[in-house]
Amino acid sequence: MRQAKALIADDEPLLRERLRAHLADVWPELALTDDARNGTEALELFAAHRPDIVFLDIRMPGLNGIDTARALARGAHLVFVTAYEQYAVQAFEQGAVDYLVKPVDRARLADTVARLQRQLHAPAHGQGSMDALLDQLAARLGQRAVPAVSRLQWLKASVGNSVRLIPVEQVHFLRAEEKYTRVVWDEGEALIRKTIRELADQLDPERFVQTHRSVIVNLACVREVVRGMNETADVHLRSGGEVLPVSRSYLHHFRQM
Amino acid sequence: MTRPTSLRFPISACLPARRHAVVVTAFTLLLSLPLQRISGSPYLEVFGHVGCVGAILLVAYSAAVALRPRWLGPGLARLAAIVLAAPVAVLLTFLIAERGNVVAFLRQPQSQTAYIAMVILALLFGVPFSLLAMRSERRQRERADRLQIELEKNRLERELLDVRLRMLHAQIEPHFLFNTLANIEALVACGSSNAGPVLRHLIAYLRAAMPRLNDADATLETELQLVRSYLELMRLRMPDRLRFTVAAPPDAAALRFPAMALLTLVENAVRHGIDPSVDGGAIEVGGRRDPHTGAITLWVSDTGVGMAETAAPGTGLANLRSRLHGFYGAAARVDLHEVAPHGVRVELHFQEKELA
Repeated sequence: MRQAKALIADDEPLLRERLRAHLADVWPELALTDDARNGTEALELFAAHRPDIVFLDIRMPGLNGIDTARALARGAHLVFVTAYEQYAVQAFEQGAVDYLVKPVDRARLADTVARLQRQLHAPAHGQGSMDALLDQLAARLGQRAVPAVSRLQWLKASVGNSVRLIPVEQVHFLRAEEKYTRVVWDEGEALIRKTIRELADQLDPERFVQTHRSVIVNLACVREVVRGMNETADVHLRSGGEVLPVSRSYLHHFRQM
Repeated sequence: MTRPTSLRFPISACLPARRHAVVVTAFTLLLSLPLQRISGSPYLEVFGHVGCVGAILLVAYSAAVALRPRWLGPGLARLAAIVLAAPVAVLLTFLIAERGNVVAFLRQPQSQTAYIAMVILALLFGVPFSLLAMRSERRQRERADRLQIELEKNRLERELLDVRLRMLHAQIEPHFLFNTLANIEALVACGSSNAGPVLRHLIAYLRAAMPRLNDADATLETELQLVRSYLELMRLRMPDRLRFTVAAPPDAAALRFPAMALLTLVENAVRHGIDPSVDGGAIEVGGRRDPHTGAITLWVSDTGVGMAETAAPGTGLANLRSRLHGFYGAAARVDLHEVAPHGVRVELHFQEKELA
């Protein structure tokens, strides 16, 4: 039988070294390729060396362990290595793929090695169960990172020679000003490059309402809306100052109020 | 105390408190009894005089604060009002009693005696009564102040408790802890002399991240040590991707500082800036004190992947803002800036708290 070959992908160098040393102990005949520092490197090294086994850390910069596993598809036997992923560990236990927790325990690694040695004679995992497992993993890990709808949460505004990141909840209103849009917030005002039309699309409609072709107002900052002539109105803000116009076509936002 | 600056006469500010009105009425009713014995006049007539003087003095006492000139304190204004109002009040009372015929009335010697006696009586009782009233008002005010301070203290304690609970849950993230322990295990296994120092950094970090009974001794210096410990641990894990510098204004080391405030920012910089980046980046923790105003600026700046405009703001920043307000007053600010070409810089602006 030809010598088995393995690849280790982990962004933490000490832990790569440690796994390497453990493997040298429990499976001295295993050949190890260069280590990968992230998912993208893992794919490159995989293409170059075609290892039989890939040890994959789940949290890596760039391409994470799960996406890397998807890209590798059926190409190798996969062992996930993770420090603490409650959900991930649950998912592994239901799936066929092996996993290790850090710090890696030698006895546990010996079990994994024994299983790998048996499986190397058999074909790699059935693609169906593997895909289902990866989907499940991605969903469970992804839930925490990506919000359902990505609304605008920060406005980038040039103030002096610095670019301020203004939290949208501090914004009172936005008003078109020739080429730019003027934003007025808790700490002052500034110009931003986005147009009122873009902002209207990207801001949370539950919190921000367009009242006029050139005006968007934060509902939390409105003190009162005063009806005017000809199906128009004026918006008075809690902070006082500027009175904002409501034009006929946007008045319906305030009808029920 | 705010006084109306408009020309409108502040009627409501001049009206006596109900409690004072009751006390004055009761006392003049009582005082009229012995006076009736001495003068031999009918009780109602005596009370008419005494009550009228009492009422005028009460109005003078109540209106004194609102109508006093700026340079006169409220206590002195009230005493002066009583002393000045006493002869006028008695004169007015006689004027009303004699239906304007007061000149003829005051020509009689026994009427002059009565006038002087009434003025002396008015002063004799008016001055101590107003002193008593002022003392009880002052006590009431102090009680209200104490209550206000108590409420504020409760609010701050509640916020602090919240922060401690969050620290327990969030700061010692299991992923962080197990990963760091795995690294230390690797150092020990290969006999690295680095294991000891790294373990000490972890201990310092864990000790600081544990909820403490007392925040009062936290200083900027202890916070910066904590930040260094954390960054050393993270550098152990990603030596090729993380560079950092930690410095602070040399004269601000002993500054009282809310524990974990900078660490929260540094953890954010690692978690959301450096860790997702394949090439990593640098974190700079720094500060300066404005030599003229004494205002302090601290910053945590990273050259990581930067922040998307749609990144949901965590609770960390909002908590930090309210803790800074609690610590340094409402003028304290937390600003976010973009770093070119990519990265985020968070700045804390505040004035050192005056020692109470």
